[in-house]
Amino acid sequence: MAKKSKSRTVAVRLISMAMTGYYRTMIRPRTHRPLSMLKYDPVVKKQVLFLEATKGGRNK
Amino acid sequence: MEPVIKGSISKNLPERLLRFFNRYPPEKYSSLVRPKPDPETTPTADSSTLPSPYIANRDAKGAHKEDPRAPSAARGLLWSRPNLPNPFLPRKIGKRWVGAEIGLRRQAELVKMAKKYNIEALLPPGRKSTEFKQTRLAERGLTVKGTGVGQKVKGHRWERTMETRLEDRRKAMMEMPETVRMWKQRGHGRGWKKWPKR
Repeated sequence: MAKKSKSRTVAVRLISMAMTGYYRTMIRPRTHRPLSMLKYDPVVKKQVLFLEATKGGRNK
Repeated sequence: MEPVIKGSISKNLPERLLRFFNRYPPEKYSSLVRPKPDPETTPTADSSTLPSPYIANRDAKGAHKEDPRAPSAARGLLWSRPNLPNPFLPRKIGKRWVGAEIGLRRQAELVKMAKKYNIEALLPPGRKSTEFKQTRLAERGLTVKGTGVGQKVKGHRWERTMETRLEDRRKAMMEMPETVRMWKQRGHGRGWKKWPKR
């Protein structure tokens, strides 16, 4: 039986760099580069940098 | 000491206090004339004698309970002369215990009244006196665990780690403008190397 193919997209977690533990989940194409963006963190009540984190942190 | 004691009782006191002092003159009964407690038999309330809050199961059934008759700083205040028994304390005659001549309710009323006229020290030492209550409070802490002198509780994990977490956050927020500048400089994440671990 053929191996089940991987989905085209992946769900990723963007972690707030303010070290508040706040994160957002987003969906990106599997082949896309890791996501990073400025977003609002309600804990520090400011717009801060959010970076994608994957298991083991092996992003290219 | 006697002139001070006698001088502080004026005729302006309520009838009830005057009657009390007439019957139990302060120069014989009051806590002012109490001998200094023996430091060997009456320990002071310091942290070394308090039970550790970290001992497991100290409230559990069968756990070692503190001896209620053990000498303590608060207990040392309750003092009575053998020949002039303190009317605020029960006493033992032979094998028999005789209750206090003045019960706790009347003691409390007398203490309240004496406090109003700033002559609480002239009353005999008892369980209702401010001094006794304060010493006992320091010894035992409030009924809330860990609030006594030198006591603390373990607390929740979020309480124990709060300080370091806030410090990390503060540091990260201080460096945030610089981080954002670097991120913009490196093509909004294209050349970014330090990705966080999940």
